Amino acid sequence: MNHKDRFLATVENAPVDKPASWLGLPIPLAEPALLKHFKVKSIDELKKFINDDIYPIEVPYNFPPSNHIACAFNFAKVNHLDKPDERTLTAPGFFEDYNDVADIEKFNWPDPSKYLDREESKRRAKAIDKDYARMGILWSAHFQDACSAFGMEQALMVMLTNPDMFQAVIDRITDFYLKANEIFYESTKGYLDAVLIGNDFGSQTGLMVDPAMLSEFVFTGTKKLIDQAKSYGLKVMHHSCGSIFPIIDDLINLGADIIHPIQALAEGMDAPNLKKHFDKKVCFCGGVDAQYLLVSGAPDMVSRKVKELVELFPTGLIVSPSHEAILPDIPPANIEALFGTLNR
Amino acid sequence: MEEILSKIAHCVEFGKVNKAAPYPPDMKGLDGADELTREALDSGVKADVILKQALVEGMDRVGKKFSEKKIFIPQMLMSAKAMNAAIEHLKPYFKSGEVQRKGKFIIATVQGDLHDIGKNLVKMSIEGAGWEVIDLGVDVKVEKLLAAIEENPGAKIGLSALLTTTMGNMKDAVAAIKSKYPNNEVLIGGAPVNDDFRKQIGADYYAPDPQGVVAHLNK
Repeated sequence: MNHKDRFLATVENAPVDKPASWLGLPIPLAEPALLKHFKVKSIDELKKFINDDIYPIEVPYNFPPSNHIACAFNFAKVNHLDKPDERTLTAPGFFEDYNDVADIEKFNWPDPSKYLDREESKRRAKAIDKDYARMGILWSAHFQDACSAFGMEQALMVMLTNPDMFQAVIDRITDFYLKANEIFYESTKGYLDAVLIGNDFGSQTGLMVDPAMLSEFVFTGTKKLIDQAKSYGLKVMHHSCGSIFPIIDDLINLGADIIHPIQALAEGMDAPNLKKHFDKKVCFCGGVDAQYLLVSGAPDMVSRKVKELVELFPTGLIVSPSHEAILPDIPPANIEALFGTLNR
Repeated sequence: MEEILSKIAHCVEFGKVNKAAPYPPDMKGLDGADELTREALDSGVKADVILKQALVEGMDRVGKKFSEKKIFIPQMLMSAKAMNAAIEHLKPYFKSGEVQRKGKFIIATVQGDLHDIGKNLVKMSIEGAGWEVIDLGVDVKVEKLLAAIEENPGAKIGLSALLTTTMGNMKDAVAAIKSKYPNNEVLIGGAPVNDDFRKQIGADYYAPDPQGVVAHLNK
């Protein structure tokens, strides 16, 4: 099997020659130690070395200073550099003081066609060996952006006190992503196999918002985003950090092919529990705890955990750290143990 | 008196802030925590009775329901908002000393970490349990923590971290606090934190959720 065959078979819960895997997205601060440890010159080389199956493609979005589609909306009420991870969701947002649905026109909504680079999208996708599972990293986090639009605490209260306002804002954000994604899918047609989209719905101990409210306000947009990706023949990996056990069935019904990242230590998200309830109903990606095991555990502990996961899920699981971002506190030796075990 | 206290507690439990508030829909047009607290004070109900028998009672029910996953963050935020509307009327009594809170609690997200929703939920719960909370915000340096403890002798301290990469800063903060103020109790929380980590870094208590912190403080 090549990488793509293995990925697709895993998604379909069909037999594989070896477990499928994904390194995730090492953040720049984590890269030097990884490159040094594996004696490689780039993350591309590292992926080849560890025999990784998924190749992520970031969206080229020319909107400074972040140049990141996850920062496409300038919702910050105060001056902010707007780099990913540097503005909290609870910081005051543009719509904090607005109550009237008509007021959503007061925001300067971006047009993705001005910023999303079609040629570069195609170049990036085309450059990747077609034997990989080529996955667009689109995020399309319409719920998180809606939280950011008001400030998270305000947004969660607006869901209760002024549901029309929240719905209008999240719908407008969803429309933005549908347009952006269409541009990306058209530009990369024939060179893309999967997409990663999603929002964080969970905390360590449970959902942040009750399933009924997610269903009412959020999942309509999720369904549109998933349907759009599927209309291009793409597999959909849906991301949500945290304990999301009560909505996994919803995500399956919405059409998600892969649930990511199965945050192993979050309540109800341990692999045996997921196996018990969702065996062969969906594919999972993740499972190797990045809160304790990969950070503080020894390589032999990582190796044992990977063996346990593979025994539990001979297919139907893309083995990966339980957080997409590989942070610098993960010793490269543990990454080596993870992939070394899979490749043995 | 008991009827109005019960009504205020109900408003806090279900997040009815004031008469104009559209939430919850089944209480539309009714007085909220704001109006009822004013009415109670005007009719001679002691402020400390309102605090203990209405606000703390209401927030206690909220905390329990949150722990049991019967309500979620949006509902808890509405309850905290209703409680705060009532607290506004009690502020003069806190200032005059007529109403005493249970103590002071300094809360912060540790240096390098900008995540605050968990910290804020703990803050609301502790305030709702009758404590005065001094919120230092996010990305808080050790020096700022130590200065706050100096200004508030005997205060308990709550530290939060969401990122594994900032757990080291939590360890440093606990060490600095314990070295200078060994008798001040330090509580920790946050997604990657657990009781093993608490033991390793010498903190006094770990709770996985806001209600756990409140239960510990109420002991």
